[in-house]
Amino acid sequence: MVKKLIEKDTKMFLTGNEVIAYAANAAQAEFMYGYPITPQNEIMHTWCKLLPKTEAGFLQTEDEISAGFSTIGGILAGKRAFTATAGPGNVIMQDAMSMAEMMRIPFVCAVMQRGGPSTATVIYAQQETNLTCFGGNGEGFRIVYSTSGHQDLYDYVIKAFNTAWKYRFPTFILADGYQGKMREPVMMYDPATRGITMEPTPAQLRAVGKIGVDRDANHLRNTFNLEEELMEHLEGYQKDFDEMAKEVAEYEEYRAEDAEILIIAHGIVARSAKTAIDALREKGIKVGLFRPITIRPLAVEPLRNAVKRSKQILFTESANGQLARIVLEKIYGLTTPYSTLYKMGVGVTGDDLINKVQEMISSSQVVA
Amino acid sequence: MTRTKIVLAGEGGQGVQSVAKILVEAGYEANKEILYIPNFGVEQRGGVSIAFCQIGDEKIGEPRFSKGDIVIMLSDRAIERCQTYIDKNTVVIYDTSVCHTKPTAECKEIIGIPANQIAHDELSVRVFNIIILGVIIEATKVMPIDYVKSAMEHALGKKFDKKPELRELNYKALECGMKLVAKSQCV
Repeated sequence: MVKKLIEKDTKMFLTGNEVIAYAANAAQAEFMYGYPITPQNEIMHTWCKLLPKTEAGFLQTEDEISAGFSTIGGILAGKRAFTATAGPGNVIMQDAMSMAEMMRIPFVCAVMQRGGPSTATVIYAQQETNLTCFGGNGEGFRIVYSTSGHQDLYDYVIKAFNTAWKYRFPTFILADGYQGKMREPVMMYDPATRGITMEPTPAQLRAVGKIGVDRDANHLRNTFNLEEELMEHLEGYQKDFDEMAKEVAEYEEYRAEDAEILIIAHGIVARSAKTAIDALREKGIKVGLFRPITIRPLAVEPLRNAVKRSKQILFTESANGQLARIVLEKIYGLTTPYSTLYKMGVGVTGDDLINKVQEMISSSQVVA
Repeated sequence: MTRTKIVLAGEGGQGVQSVAKILVEAGYEANKEILYIPNFGVEQRGGVSIAFCQIGDEKIGEPRFSKGDIVIMLSDRAIERCQTYIDKNTVVIYDTSVCHTKPTAECKEIIGIPANQIAHDELSVRVFNIIILGVIIEATKVMPIDYVKSAMEHALGKKFDKKPELRELNYKALECGMKLVAKSQCV
């Protein structure tokens, strides 16, 4: 059993990477596996710095392939284990993540997005949205929480462990280099004080009890002989995924109830949207935000309702429409026109959005 | 909502991020809302290093902003890189003893200070960045000096304990920076 560092509510001023390490400890994570890549290194550094106090474990592997599969090994042995990666590391780790999807392993990974494709920048992007949701040679049976700052990082890292172990789908914290490197205040707490109990993490390999007497065999399959057999199996996964979605899908609306222009953004960009919305509302412009917190699965009904209510929508991302593609599929049939503000691998500022919304208003007036 | 947006830029190794950390730590201790992003490249040292700091009374939204209230530039390359963060409401500060170029921008005010020269001649080159910290404190007036001193203690306390005269030197540098701005604003 690991030692908890945070027993009473403690306000701290940290980087997001540090927050993730503290949150993993608060969730009683027992082991981290990882391979260094900017901008997530300080998750590992912090986790390791805390080891003498937490009595948890850490293994630095030779690459992300190994980090991913080692994480799976730890989980199968019944450890609440996790990993973290970014950019090209996220690409390389897809092999293990795919296996986690197939074998329903409660894999937990923090992704601190950086610019892409390939090495690109070590700084920031939202360009791993598609990869994190749908990477690998499968169907994207994954749960992806997109965080929007340090309090989110703390809350959702704790939640991710429980979601993963309860539903047995690989679960991701999708953050970015800004969130990893930036400093802002965060309130840390012991999950127990918020009524959160951690899901048990029973071993699947060498599980307790005698097979056939005390329990059934744990049949972890990664290979199928027949096409139909595979499909039947995956249809079961899809059913579980859809059931899970009802309980897990989360979203946030900000001043969206009477919004004529609805900004759809996730992660840290949603915060810039709030800055812009406050400024635009002061000028009497009715703008609001719909922010999917789970990018996968999406909260489809609330999303459709918000889009239906508005006259125009604006997609904005630090990517070339990766979230928009995922959203557009789910709002098929609605006719609300949309505009886009995409900045590939670059932060979106409040001013960017203010200018864009004003441009949308003046061009729609010209048409009218 | 009051929010002060600060861009601090210089060469890697000038202590830009160290100063930014002290500044935001002081703000946090003063119970302000803070958001600080260090801008970093692939290189370990030698690039342009930029610190984006926001200090406010309410929770801060956008992590990156487009225009700074105060933009401090400590090298020629920093001047080039930071042009984009300047608009008519920006106070621009640059080091006349480091930069060969003078920033030209339509802005509220341009203040040139020879901080590096003063550090070299009167104090120690090692407290150059603390002079800059003094400049920021005076130019922004966002927080009382006591919080800054206690954040300095937090960051440098161990060094101060070993060599108590360093504390005095750093305080002098801080005051020197503050006076530099106060003086230039009188002109």
